[in-house]
Amino acid sequence: MPASPARSRPPRLWWLAVLVFALVLPQAAPAAGGGNISVSDDRGRSVELSEPAQRIVSLAPHLTELLFAVGAGDRIVATVAHADYPDAARSIPRVGTAAQLDLEGLLAASPDLVIAWGSGSPGTALERLEKLGITVYYSEPGDFAGIAADLRRLGRLAGQPERGVREARAFLNAVATLREEFGERPEVSVFYQVWDQPLMTVNDGHLIGEAIRLCRGQNVFGHLDSLVPRPGLETVIAADPEAIVSGGPGEDREDWLEAWRDWNQLTAVQRDNLFFIPPSLLQRHTPRLADGTRMLCEALELARERRAGPRR
Amino acid sequence: MSTTEGAATLARTGWTLGVLGAGAVASVLSSVMLGSVNLPARDVASVFFGEGSALARLLVLELRLPRTLAAFATGGLLAVAGALMQVLLRNPLADPYVLGISGGAAVGALLTMISGLGLAWISGSAFAGALLSTLIVFGLAHGTGSWTPTRLLLTGVVVAAGWGAVITFLLAVRPSPELPGMLYWLMGDLAHARGNVLPWLTLIVIVGLALPLGRSLNVLARGPLQAAVLGVSVRRLEWTVYLLAALVTAVAVTTAGTIGFVGLIIPHMLRLVIGNDQRLLLPASALAGGILLTLADTLARTVIAPEQLPVGVITAMLGVPVFLYLLYRSRT
Repeated sequence: MPASPARSRPPRLWWLAVLVFALVLPQAAPAAGGGNISVSDDRGRSVELSEPAQRIVSLAPHLTELLFAVGAGDRIVATVAHADYPDAARSIPRVGTAAQLDLEGLLAASPDLVIAWGSGSPGTALERLEKLGITVYYSEPGDFAGIAADLRRLGRLAGQPERGVREARAFLNAVATLREEFGERPEVSVFYQVWDQPLMTVNDGHLIGEAIRLCRGQNVFGHLDSLVPRPGLETVIAADPEAIVSGGPGEDREDWLEAWRDWNQLTAVQRDNLFFIPPSLLQRHTPRLADGTRMLCEALELARERRAGPRR
Repeated sequence: MSTTEGAATLARTGWTLGVLGAGAVASVLSSVMLGSVNLPARDVASVFFGEGSALARLLVLELRLPRTLAAFATGGLLAVAGALMQVLLRNPLADPYVLGISGGAAVGALLTMISGLGLAWISGSAFAGALLSTLIVFGLAHGTGSWTPTRLLLTGVVVAAGWGAVITFLLAVRPSPELPGMLYWLMGDLAHARGNVLPWLTLIVIVGLALPLGRSLNVLARGPLQAAVLGVSVRRLEWTVYLLAALVTAVAVTTAGTIGFVGLIIPHMLRLVIGNDQRLLLPASALAGGILLTLADTLARTVIAPEQLPVGVITAMLGVPVFLYLLYRSRT
């Protein structure tokens, strides 16, 4: 199979797709026991393998990242566009994008395990794979505990059970440290900007919403029903958040925050509380979320310090 | 009709269907041969003799062949729907996609998917949507007098825009886990085709039903007054054609989403070559539409492999210039 590397495409569209679709929060079910390897996936289905998976296909960038985290990166035989972390992931053959799979390429990679993204991978294509007898694990981590659970289960499926448990514990410890450090701090009202046009944010049920709460931020749109609400510009101005946090359209592009500077009557602008956090640290459901959350907590801490007003 | 003329017609029919039949076989073969994975032609051939590697069997029998068959039937359905509408409206620009019929079917199907009803309901509600759309467009455009092409097209375009807005609204208020799939499905994508029995059955039944109507349709194509004078029950025939066209569109949309312009290009090009005899035009449209969509889908699967295009993109790239050309030519 011609293994062309990821085509360069405007990253914006992909991120928009991710942000819109990474939204459902099924609960992690307890793992079932069994003779061989048997774990329960995020849809509560039992996934069974007679031996650890040797040829894994991962259908989303964050799933590839999770597999690398549990030491199964060298078992990934194919993944989808934009799987760019860690660097070793860039050279894995591609089988389409997260939403548009190249089923032929996928089958030609002869996988013994496919890791699918519950809310992002195309349902019809996966149904067909399952009908062809391919084992599919659906991942949909909805909170910090969900990421840890996926690390443990992917570790077991890929023959790295200890590594999975270790990584899960390390991740949960990092989160617990943050909670200890910032959990009692005074609240800061926050607007988290997922996208600029249209403006998109997250509610309290979203994983990013959970990170905001952990840092004692008070999400100004946290109470809305929609997981990814689209507030108008006026509502953001009326809410007058103390801090505005954004991922921007790329890993190092802060364009969106700059746009807020025109609204200098906003508290966040007056106090220069416009914080950039690379989107892959906060928006991907991977262990790196702990790093992104730390950046968020530290940003909000800075916002607290700035309450005293500019020093003379 | 004299005997020599009859023989000439027969020969032309034979030639046309023969050439198209050969084209159909060739298009299906090329679609089965080509894919994002390079399989040598010999491997693909051996699959059909019950041999070949496991991978070749898997790719050809489980992926390529079912998808190719779905593409062929859907293309045929769309072309027949276009041809029927063009007779009804006496206008070469009529096409289920342009007139908003596909949009209505898509809204119907989408509502079923969102409400979580079973697959069996999707075709039914798509049909209801297509029928509603047809009634709105034709009813409003008909008005008191005869159809005027401008009025018809404007009504269709506005109704299509309205359905587009409804779709956007539905997707905005009910983001669902199926959303990424739905977006591609709405653009017209055979990757989501779940089966090919329904489209094939519909195609065969519709062509079978339309053939006996062919002579009346020929008369209707000349205008309702002439048709009435010549003893055709115009009202009933028009209603039959409405229903058939809506049904055909609904099945095509259920199978592969809203693929545009096949119903526009195919009957038009065929008319240039074989004339406007519906008895030949309808079956020929079924074959040629199948060929076009099969080839377009092969392109969609391979042109930027391993990434995949929705086939609707390719048919639109072909269809839009043809549509504009027809519009330009009809200025006089």
